Amino acid sequence: MLNWANLVSQLFNGLATGALLALIASGLTIIYGTLGVLNLAHGAMFMLGGYAGWVVYQWTGSFALAVLGASAFLVIVGAILELVVIRRFYGRPGEDQILVTFGLGIVIVELVRRAFGSLSLTLPAPAWASGITSLGFMLYPTYRIALIGIVAAALLALYFVLYRTKLGLIVRAGIEDAGMVDILGVDVGKVFMVVFGIGAMAAGFAGAVNAPVVSLTPDGGDAILIETFVVVVIGGVGSFFGAVLGGLIAGEILSLTSMVDPAYSQFALFAAMTLVLVFRPQGLLGAAGRE
Amino acid sequence: MIKRFPWVEALSALGLVAAPWVLPALGFAPGTVNHVLIWGLFGLGFDILFGYAGLLSFGQAAFFGTGGFVAAYLLTVAGMTNVLLALAVGTAAAAAVGAIVGLVALRRTGIYFAMITVAIAEMFFFLENNPLARWTGGENGLPGVPAPSFDLFGLRWQVGVGWSMYGFLAACYFVGLVVALRIVNSPFGAVLVAIRDNPKRTLAVGHDVWRYKLAAFAIAAGYAGFAGGLLGVLQGFMPPEAFIFDTSGQLVVQTVIGGAGTLFGPLVGAAVWLSLRDFLQSGLNLGAAWKLVLGLVFVLLVTFLRRGILGGVKDLIASVDKRAAAPAPAGVAAAMMPALRPDEAFAGPAIEARGLTKRFGGLVANRDVNFSVAKGELRGVIGPNGAGKSTFFKMLTCEMEPSAGSILFHGRDITGHGVSRVCQMGLTKSYQINQLFARLTARENVEIAALAHARGPFKLDMLKAVRKVPGLEAQVAGTLALVGLTHRAGTPVSELAYGEKRRLEIALALASSPSLLLLDEPLAGMSPQERKETVTLLKAIREGRTLVVIDHDMDAMFDLADRITVLAEGRVLAEGTPQQIRDDRSVRDAYLGGEHM
Amino acid sequence: MSEHDDSARLSRRSMLKAAAAGAAVWPGLTAFPVWAADHPAIGTWPAGSAGDSVTIGATVPRTGPYALQGEDELKGLQLAIEHVNAGDPLIQAISPKTKKGVLGKTVKLAVADSEAKPNTAVQAQTNFITQDKIVLMFGATSSAVAVALNKLADREKVLYIVGISGSNDTTGKDCARYSFRQCFYGQTAAAAIGPVMLKAYGKGKKAAYLVPDYTYGHTVHQSMKDFLGKNGGWTEATAQVAPLGAPDYSSYLLNVANSGADVLVNINWGHDAVLSIQQAKQFGVLDKMKLVVPYQVPFLAREVGPDIMAGVYAATDYWWTLEDKFPLAKRFNAAFKAKYGYMPEWGANNAYMQVALWAAQVEAAGSFYPPDVIKAYESGATMKSTVGDVHFRGADHQLVRPVVIVQAKAKKDMKDPEDYWNVLDVLPGEPLMQAADAFGCKMGSPT
Repeated sequence: MLNWANLVSQLFNGLATGALLALIASGLTIIYGTLGVLNLAHGAMFMLGGYAGWVVYQWTGSFALAVLGASAFLVIVGAILELVVIRRFYGRPGEDQILVTFGLGIVIVELVRRAFGSLSLTLPAPAWASGITSLGFMLYPTYRIALIGIVAAALLALYFVLYRTKLGLIVRAGIEDAGMVDILGVDVGKVFMVVFGIGAMAAGFAGAVNAPVVSLTPDGGDAILIETFVVVVIGGVGSFFGAVLGGLIAGEILSLTSMVDPAYSQFALFAAMTLVLVFRPQGLLGAAGRE
Repeated sequence: MIKRFPWVEALSALGLVAAPWVLPALGFAPGTVNHVLIWGLFGLGFDILFGYAGLLSFGQAAFFGTGGFVAAYLLTVAGMTNVLLALAVGTAAAAAVGAIVGLVALRRTGIYFAMITVAIAEMFFFLENNPLARWTGGENGLPGVPAPSFDLFGLRWQVGVGWSMYGFLAACYFVGLVVALRIVNSPFGAVLVAIRDNPKRTLAVGHDVWRYKLAAFAIAAGYAGFAGGLLGVLQGFMPPEAFIFDTSGQLVVQTVIGGAGTLFGPLVGAAVWLSLRDFLQSGLNLGAAWKLVLGLVFVLLVTFLRRGILGGVKDLIASVDKRAAAPAPAGVAAAMMPALRPDEAFAGPAIEARGLTKRFGGLVANRDVNFSVAKGELRGVIGPNGAGKSTFFKMLTCEMEPSAGSILFHGRDITGHGVSRVCQMGLTKSYQINQLFARLTARENVEIAALAHARGPFKLDMLKAVRKVPGLEAQVAGTLALVGLTHRAGTPVSELAYGEKRRLEIALALASSPSLLLLDEPLAGMSPQERKETVTLLKAIREGRTLVVIDHDMDAMFDLADRITVLAEGRVLAEGTPQQIRDDRSVRDAYLGGEHM
Repeated sequence: MSEHDDSARLSRRSMLKAAAAGAAVWPGLTAFPVWAADHPAIGTWPAGSAGDSVTIGATVPRTGPYALQGEDELKGLQLAIEHVNAGDPLIQAISPKTKKGVLGKTVKLAVADSEAKPNTAVQAQTNFITQDKIVLMFGATSSAVAVALNKLADREKVLYIVGISGSNDTTGKDCARYSFRQCFYGQTAAAAIGPVMLKAYGKGKKAAYLVPDYTYGHTVHQSMKDFLGKNGGWTEATAQVAPLGAPDYSSYLLNVANSGADVLVNINWGHDAVLSIQQAKQFGVLDKMKLVVPYQVPFLAREVGPDIMAGVYAATDYWWTLEDKFPLAKRFNAAFKAKYGYMPEWGANNAYMQVALWAAQVEAAGSFYPPDVIKAYESGATMKSTVGDVHFRGADHQLVRPVVIVQAKAKKDMKDPEDYWNVLDVLPGEPLMQAADAFGCKMGSPT
């Protein structure tokens, strides 16, 4: 028998989970679209963002500063990684890039394990968003509702950078045609470093704002990475709006399947991705012809 | 070529036999060596798929697990006693599942292909762990997989653990290796390499690329299934994590570290990876930090050892051993296979286009083009830039489907046939921008095209040597001689001069013995000397075939062509003998507006 | 005994020499039976105990999601080995014949990271068996690994003491002659915690279950459901089966919240338990329902915190405040805290007890010869432990041991920063256990 209250709850929850996935996925898709690098360290960066936020929170006691600090830290980490490692891989086959970022992911996770141990850490929600809110049809954690707004704001900011600034123009040109960027007479090296930094920041920001929802462990990024890939593929690799749409779809799939048989929610996600790849390989909003 | 002594096989056999005496001295435990063999065997198939055919799959665990669990189920629950038979069934099941998965996954290429394989493997893991848990044991796997026993000349050999198990696994690996070597040295293997280098051209010279990929995928799945079955035998139980993503990932990692496209790469990579793992934990006593160090080592390896360990060794040997490319075998008569086609008797035009139209959204590239070339004619097609010449050519060779109209080749409607099929019928083209197999030599390039002619669009001759394909050698030698590249046969494409690459481009089209050859700007970018040579070449190859040539070099065109068609703004502007075209006022007007002439 | 060992070692050594010399025979094919005077060689015996030291091979997760529990087990193991080698009074209380070492031989430890994967664990232990000639295996934080090592133990004829494994199967249908389990398991957990729940919450309630998607989760779920239904008329409101390592429990918890259940039974393990409980709090589920954790997860209370945990019932193997009741527990806590700086959780205690109990059996048998050690285990002799008297059940190699019922304390009631649980009861194990053959345990031969 269908429980309507539960259905509405799950629809809303799908939106909340999906928004976060969208944010993480947008970072991944910007990096892939511009640099052509599928960043397997993205989950580790998400996790690192949470830990960075936790550290700043221990110093300052301010949630806002924790999120800002984590974002700034991840920009730097991303830029350094691009400069030292990723840069050597642009001319090389795609699998090399996948492998090196895979290796970097292991290094980040194990470094965090050395530094913080395996005991999980908790970053509390800010006071203004703690507690539970009644939405009439259900109770929902206040912070998770706030999180939808925070993530939406972050996505808007990202949209602004991508579609209303010169940097964004270059990034989008790069997504359309990497050769174009050269013609535009831009210092490609610098742009790529900034783009990788922004992508890492999106992951780090997501990790920090998600920290009050989960508890932090060094392995926390692994499961989310796979889900993020699904999101990117469903939406269209390299497409910002695709990442947003894909995130929301994935969130709803996870939520709604759990009503039928929760064990099948991951399975449904992968099945959906396979269907999209077979029938609309470029993803729902991806440009055709891009590999 | 002479029949070679199987050095690789002999040395491998020697190495495998010597290993139990050599490796312990190097600190290898037999358990580690046995796992290395299984990864190596698993990797043989994966290397054929990835290193040779260029298909990066991140989902091989699905087949490793399938083969493993089918074999383990037969040997434990179903009570089958013959271990080898169970392994064979597991291998066949994995290959069959691979073929089915391939039907879906191979619809896409590149990163999307990799993603589909991940998704499918994850679904397999879920199925093993949940709905099929009754048969697979869920996360406990299937315990109690027996080791085989053999009657060897009256002596009973019950395979035990350690080096005894090694004997069995080494024999399995050797069989797998011999088969893999045969596959990569077969015409089938040659086509796989061509697909890796340039799938588009492989298709254009007449190979059914998709079916080759599917076969390679099934082969890789079969190897995975065989290795999975052996894992169960080695461990005495079939572990469920055979199915997890880490298994697929580790396979890719080891293959790349060892060197893809070498067959031995996965074995070397596994040896390095597993022994590093042991060494960091037990040798250096790093405790939980072993993974951090291994991660760092891995990043360094990927960054600085670009082609893996074996690739690095190969490069090193090549730099020391700078012998000149082996000269092509002399004395082979330029006896090319005749361009015999079933419809030779047809007396009408060689090719005819009726009302050919192509729209891209609102843009019309070609509008209502009617075009007919008589047999044996050499037709020139000219027109200013943007006249729609290349689109027109693409439609004629069925690379692109027309929005309206039809194409007749020797009277048969070939509209929508696809480039591969029409090439098999005797219609092909050489490209405006070189479409060569960049990592192969000139000879190998021509071989790929000639193989399509000699073997048809698809053939599973995986165990046959390339040199044993009848007529191939003569065809290749003849083609190379015709384009004047005999002395450069052993040179890799990357080292050829531009003019030589252009001629090789034409040779690729010629090697399939077409009765109708389309040449898209064969003279583009050539020096005057090279132009002269190429014009001579074109005159030579027009013997016995129909040629259609696009070029901007008017002098050459007026010199070569029997008749000329002028395209402008996507339509036929004029058609006639060179003299008629030269005098045509509308042609002159069209060109005056353009940049040429 | 030792002279027999010597002769066996000699013949084995000469055999290995012959093989190493490359004498036309494959090394592995030279498996001639090597006879000591009274026993044929078996497993790593007598080679493993021929010298003046013996080695234990440990495979625990040190990286990945179960690293926390794995490292904790390792600490207990290391402390036990230290105590055995030093002849510590605590070990002597459990294994009275122990002087220093085991049968006078120093115990060494070889460790490998299992990453909580059965195949990796088997691979590492296989290498320990061939390279280090280990006399004993230890490990597992999950039943999948335990079951795999059970099979390896029987095949290789090397004794195995189980780490953390709560599945009925480990000493049930997948039991092994060479394997012994100290901790209790799903069925006992249900039988122990069930009456507590009925007493606390009454009859005819509705329960929601959070079930991790693997055998342990499913068996505990089934045991709980059966017990509560039969004895208290409880019904199941919903069962949310979640994959291991789910990054988010929100959709499962919404289903729980909308199920109208009175009690939430959380069977998740490791970080999954931590995350699902924290999120249950966020979703207000814990304001509407009582939470029960049938089998306490090491570090759970520390990670989740008393604010959320207060009042939660659980069954556990060990909690350090048992020291008020058991002097051995007090000694163990003191030694552990001195070495590692915190009070031990049950994973560490389990590892320690397993080693101590093994040392006791070897001393009792007077030999490392595995069939003799197994005989000593199977004799069912009563031994002391940190939770009172215990003995092994010969038929399924399960330790018959008390089950501790605890309830999480509120912050205000904690007398010590680590005083998370209040020990309510220590139940005798025997009445909680099923008949030894009820779960299909069929043992193989010791030889």
